[in-house]
Amino acid sequence: MKKIIIYLFILQFVLFNSGKILSEEKYNGEILYVYVNGLVCDFCARSIEKIFSKQQSVEGIKVNLKNMLITINLKENQKLSYEKITEMIKDSGYEIREIKNVK
Amino acid sequence: MKIFLCKILLVCTFIVVKDMNARPISYPGGWTLMQANDFSKHSFHLHYSPSIDYSIGYRAEYWREKEWQFHGLQLNYLIKRINRPKSQTNLYLRNGLGLATSNYKAFENKFEPSLFTGILFDWEDRRFFTSYQNQANYASSIDKFFSQRIRIGVAPYLAEYGYLHTWIMLQADHMPGNRKNLTFTPMLRVFKGDYLAEFGLNNYKDFMFNFIKRF
Repeated sequence: MKKIIIYLFILQFVLFNSGKILSEEKYNGEILYVYVNGLVCDFCARSIEKIFSKQQSVEGIKVNLKNMLITINLKENQKLSYEKITEMIKDSGYEIREIKNVK
Repeated sequence: MKIFLCKILLVCTFIVVKDMNARPISYPGGWTLMQANDFSKHSFHLHYSPSIDYSIGYRAEYWREKEWQFHGLQLNYLIKRINRPKSQTNLYLRNGLGLATSNYKAFENKFEPSLFTGILFDWEDRRFFTSYQNQANYASSIDKFFSQRIRIGVAPYLAEYGYLHTWIMLQADHMPGNRKNLTFTPMLRVFKGDYLAEFGLNNYKDFMFNFIKRF
């Protein structure tokens, strides 16, 4: 019984902990669309958020599992090379299919 | 032992609350805490991933039937990953080296070197999941055995990033030599954010609970 109570207590974290997701705010910096292969699992894709959030030039990212798309919002006047993005996506466990600079 | 493991789990959860994954290897610089309980054992694994190819960490196990413990280092290595437009496949090698200890029957504070090795294969897309893993454990007098596990799963709905994800799974465990040498466990996997939990009940009515937190 004690064990079950502990587990239920832990479960609350599962149910009420939410990831930091980019909201639909307006950004002044560049926006990049990165299409990747293998992006099927939310839990594994957390690595993308963790790796990109360490980059000073990145304002935020948004992950779209349906389209296997990662949207990267850069800070104003900041750049991020395609080589660096490729390296970070590889470190996250995925492979890049295509990168588009949309803004 | 069970209470001890639960305490470790809780302490780690609260002390290092920040960020989590089901893979035995995380992203470079990432920590993962994995805690599992089923009919055969309780285990605790905390690992650090220096790169995307391997992780290293502490592993503790308590084997219920023969009442012995393992404490040691575990090394997980990614042999191959295949990223496809709509799926991902992984093959890992898992090795552990440490000490086995037991007070069971004739074993009075017996300590001896112990090791294990095995592979883990998984394939998944957004709707279906399957995995296979095996493991050979060796502790010269305390216990030696081979075990294997298969899982198949289906997601009843496709959730987007950041929402609660749910998987319905069936797990089959084969442990030759164990009193319950073949078990089937219908189970539920849920995850949200950096937390993952699994619940199940096998055909012997043994409760299963696994928990993972990625930092």
